[in-house]
Amino acid sequence: MISLQLTRWLIGYVRFSVLGGNPERFYSLSAHSGAVLWNISACSKSGACVAARRYRSLRSCARRTGCRLRVRGRHGLPFLLRRTRGKEGLLAGAALFFAIVCLLSLRIWCIQITGNSSVPASRIAAELRSAGLSPGTPKRDVDPRLLAQRIMLKIPEIRWMSINTQGCTVQVAVQEKTAQPEVKKSGGICNIKASATGQIVSMKVYSGTALIHKGDAVAEGQLLVSAVVEDKAGGSTLRHASAEIIAQTSRTLTVSVALDRHRTVTTGRTAVRRNFDLFGVKIPITLQTRPRGTYRRSCEQCSFQLFGTVLPFGIYTEHWEEIRDEKYRLSKQQALKAAEKEIRRQAAIRLPGAKIISSQPSPKWEKNSLLFTANLVCEENIAKESEISIK
Amino acid sequence: MVDLRKSGNFFDQPEWNVPMHIELYGNRKAVVEGCCGVLEYDDDVIRIRTRAQPVRFTGHGLAIRCLTVDALVVEGYITCIDFSG
Repeated sequence: MISLQLTRWLIGYVRFSVLGGNPERFYSLSAHSGAVLWNISACSKSGACVAARRYRSLRSCARRTGCRLRVRGRHGLPFLLRRTRGKEGLLAGAALFFAIVCLLSLRIWCIQITGNSSVPASRIAAELRSAGLSPGTPKRDVDPRLLAQRIMLKIPEIRWMSINTQGCTVQVAVQEKTAQPEVKKSGGICNIKASATGQIVSMKVYSGTALIHKGDAVAEGQLLVSAVVEDKAGGSTLRHASAEIIAQTSRTLTVSVALDRHRTVTTGRTAVRRNFDLFGVKIPITLQTRPRGTYRRSCEQCSFQLFGTVLPFGIYTEHWEEIRDEKYRLSKQQALKAAEKEIRRQAAIRLPGAKIISSQPSPKWEKNSLLFTANLVCEENIAKESEISIK
Repeated sequence: MVDLRKSGNFFDQPEWNVPMHIELYGNRKAVVEGCCGVLEYDDDVIRIRTRAQPVRFTGHGLAIRCLTVDALVVEGYITCIDFSG
């Protein structure tokens, strides 16, 4: 039914009224003359529809039946085109529109990246760009399999990648690798020795023979748990000793904090430049030029979406902030705070898992720096495996 | 071998020689093939001439949806089809 209506609209049709005479005879004669009539109405509102090019031939039928015809409406494409006669710009615009649509449909405009969690989408997009896939790339230049292989080689965190083209959109489906757990080597024979000097607070021996007791003082390198295990019969076997020995230790950490420093401060002068990003081409929509001087730039891309599909246009905003370099000197309090912060950072790196019981700071002020020494009392696991090589 | 032209069985199929063919879609639509003209047209009555005899459609809200040289589509609430003319 829709195709019939569309065909009638394309060829154009006329709605006319039949006045006076014998309408029934007029319809019969018209049909016999080869005209196809539709939507024929009866009584006083007698009328019908006929193809536009057939209307002229109905006049003789009307004359023979004593009827008069009156056009009530002209519909369809030929009449629409007749209205645009003399307005060549409209036709040129329509032709240009179709030409642009055809040309644009030959290129890739949207790239959707899905399935990534630890690898940022921007990194994948950058690699795709360097491999030759970016908005505006001709579709014929895109080889999805080759691209996927290249990207997987460049980003080892990706286990599997699939690139699918759908119209002007490229969907990049990514699956990341699962980190391989570290395999602990426990096959060899080893003793447990002290990694630091201290006093034993608690101990858990999982394998081996303990040679120390809770409360004992031990020196660095001292044997704590032996790999030799004696059985009831007097025989001995060698094992992989394993234990957790928590001891109270004292550690000394020293950091140096420079008092004279540089920092970047904003002067308060800012500039905002907005661009309309259309198919990767940035069209300025503000009159602001690129500011001269020392500025810090931050960019923001706002893309439009339609039913979850990123459209190939959006607003690209650049925020420019004027900055200047400033020299300043830390006050004593600030320097001490900075030193304490640095000590905490160093402790977290050098003594992982250690619990700091107390800290005795000793600051030493020099001309341009602070030498900060902290004597820490910690509780830490001092068990260190020491492998025995047997030939 | 049977000569279809001589026996007259092939071209003289009864379906090929019927003067008219009416197809009904419930009581809402009738497609008439072999129609020769419209004799009477009203909201309640449509009378048409076929090659065999006149046919009268009676009902209400009747309308000729389409009319060609030998076919016609009647739509509306058809209550009666009369072949006596």
